[in-house]
Amino acid sequence: MDRRGGRITIALVVACVLLGGGYVVYAAMSPSDTTTDARPRAGEVLADTELMVRAVDPASPSLNGRVFVVGDGKLRRSTGDLSCERIYFAAGRGICMGVAASGVDYGATVFDDRFRPVHSLSLTGLPSRARVSPDGRYGAMTVFVSGDAYLASPTAFSTRTYLLDMKSGGTIGQLEQFGVTKDGARFDAVDFNFWGITFDPADSDRFYATLGTGSHHYLVEGSVHDRSMRVLRDGVECPSLSPDGKRIAFKSRVEGTNRWRLHVLDVATLEDHPVAEERSIDDQAEWLDAETLVYSNGINVYTVPADGSGESGLLVRDATSPVALRS
Amino acid sequence: MYQVEASKALLKPRLWARRSARLRVPRNVVMLGTVSLLTDISAEMVATVLPMYLIFSLGASPLVFGAIDGTYRGAAALVQVLSGFSSDRWRRHKEVAGLGYGLSAVGKVALVAAGNTVGGVGAIVAVDRVGKGIRTAPRDALISLSSAKDKLATSFGVHRAMDSVGAMLGPLIAFGILFLAPARFDAVFVVSTLFAVLGLAVLVLNVEGKPRRAPREGAPPRLGAALSLLKDRRFAPLLLAAAGLSIASVSDALIYVGLQRAIDFEPAVFPLLYVMTAITFMGLAIPVGQLADRVGKVPVLLAGHALLFVVYAVLLMTSVGYLALIVCLVALGGYFAATEGVMTALAGAVLPEKLQASGIGILITVVSLGRLVSSVAFGALWFAIGLHSAVLIFAAVLALAMALSAPLLLRAQRPAWNG
Repeated sequence: MDRRGGRITIALVVACVLLGGGYVVYAAMSPSDTTTDARPRAGEVLADTELMVRAVDPASPSLNGRVFVVGDGKLRRSTGDLSCERIYFAAGRGICMGVAASGVDYGATVFDDRFRPVHSLSLTGLPSRARVSPDGRYGAMTVFVSGDAYLASPTAFSTRTYLLDMKSGGTIGQLEQFGVTKDGARFDAVDFNFWGITFDPADSDRFYATLGTGSHHYLVEGSVHDRSMRVLRDGVECPSLSPDGKRIAFKSRVEGTNRWRLHVLDVATLEDHPVAEERSIDDQAEWLDAETLVYSNGINVYTVPADGSGESGLLVRDATSPVALRS
Repeated sequence: MYQVEASKALLKPRLWARRSARLRVPRNVVMLGTVSLLTDISAEMVATVLPMYLIFSLGASPLVFGAIDGTYRGAAALVQVLSGFSSDRWRRHKEVAGLGYGLSAVGKVALVAAGNTVGGVGAIVAVDRVGKGIRTAPRDALISLSSAKDKLATSFGVHRAMDSVGAMLGPLIAFGILFLAPARFDAVFVVSTLFAVLGLAVLVLNVEGKPRRAPREGAPPRLGAALSLLKDRRFAPLLLAAAGLSIASVSDALIYVGLQRAIDFEPAVFPLLYVMTAITFMGLAIPVGQLADRVGKVPVLLAGHALLFVVYAVLLMTSVGYLALIVCLVALGGYFAATEGVMTALAGAVLPEKLQASGIGILITVVSLGRLVSSVAFGALWFAIGLHSAVLIFAAVLALAMALSAPLLLRAQRPAWNG
């Protein structure tokens, strides 16, 4: 019995090695699909404003994640091989968060105004949000990490947010290491998560972000230099400062769900109002101009007036991660 | 280096058998180690690529992934106690463990066949977790029943070391496949299925279901007998000590979170922390097990927990350099090597033969509940009084738990000295 068992096992090992090896070789050899140049397609409201987007086409790895520039009523595919999950660009420097060059891990690339890679960094989790300060000095990246869910709770998914020096490509710090105050007192908890940085257009040292702890999502205001943040109010995720720095667009969680509505708040009063978009939007919105938000629902890029009037309109099909290009 | 060793173990079990002959580990333990090694390769391959697969291929949001990841962990606890008792009752440890391994293998097949929806993946992950809950107690009972009482810790050390080799190889194999065939998650799932099937085959074909210490006579145990373990003269003090020690130990996930706040290093270094702890554990599990068989399980268990003081000390430092970090991770790996397997070995020595799986199932459940209490308490303290004060309190609680559990553990072990 023992001997026979051993023989059968060896036969099984051989069979599995052949089968598994064969399948991997077959998968590796099967041709990848060819590029279609028709996407992303422009929608009905193609603006003259310059916009950068990433194409969405999961069925086509050679197109999915490619960066396009939308402008003058046309779509131009960017030069270079950048393939990204999330992009941002300002003042001649961009961040592309995606799969690392090895193809098997996450990584980020800092690129210049001609889409040439300048620096590359490795990431410790799934790409989520990217931002560059309007003066091109600082960058910020948020990733999701599944490693430290310390309690068996569905909300135990955690994030890390890194600040970058866009010139050197080095990390300046992690928001998780910054001090936080709330109502003037030190504020700390094990489940602190930060995401969605936005930089002040007038002073890139000043930023806003989301602090998640328990069931709260606080808007925090911070300083890169002081490595500190203070809590402003609850119920604000993925803030995005307007070009004049006076309003913040954000996603507001529909209570008890994983659905979000876009809102805009006044920085001076912290009062907010919803915009006309009725879809659930899980995105860090972008300001197309002083009056208009641009964002994606993971499928298409839409716009909506920031003051709550009007209605949302399709801007670009099959695209996410919109970036308004300001000159 | 571990790579080379492990692939040899995979292809030539005999080589390990020869090495294990020097260690004098029963063949059955090496075979069960091989089953765990193969199953862990299979499980870790999937676990490694699942977030990427769900989010990039199926378009799930990370929150959905978090829900899938977290929801089913709680279910395992009850399953462990039930499967432990059933396998004692029916005297079919191998078959019940086989059911658990089989469920996980079926889950992998289902992933290949029907894993293209988020809901489908959620259901498959649930089946896999239940499978893991079912197999753990009867498998540990088989390891225990296959070993002489004075070699139990070595046996568990060998098993845990092989198990962790599988856990390290899984991600490497998954990344290797994705490197050769980018975005072909199906290839990862197919190979993972084959490893799961191989693991099950080694269990069915090469593991002896009625090892040397397995009870062959007498009435099958009743549920009452299993429940009365809770007030057993020897097992109850062991459970109490295990509960206290697990409550006083900060979970490794929280330790990593704490370290991450204290250390200013490149983000890329972070995954290496886990790897370093795992390698230390892998290297130390066997020698520490041998040591426990030679000098006694209780002193090794207590010394292992004492290593946590080193970890706590590093967490208390305001600025942590690389040397302190390495010391901390090695201490953490040593703590793992000297605690979980040794504690199970001690339970194996204390428990009556006919209630091995029931007792081990109860022990695992008590320890995981203790860890949950510990995590909640540590989180609350961190929030209320800050990380440093929380660590100081946990250090004091650990010292107290060690002082109280030492006599309890010695009482549990005592009759073994006489006979």
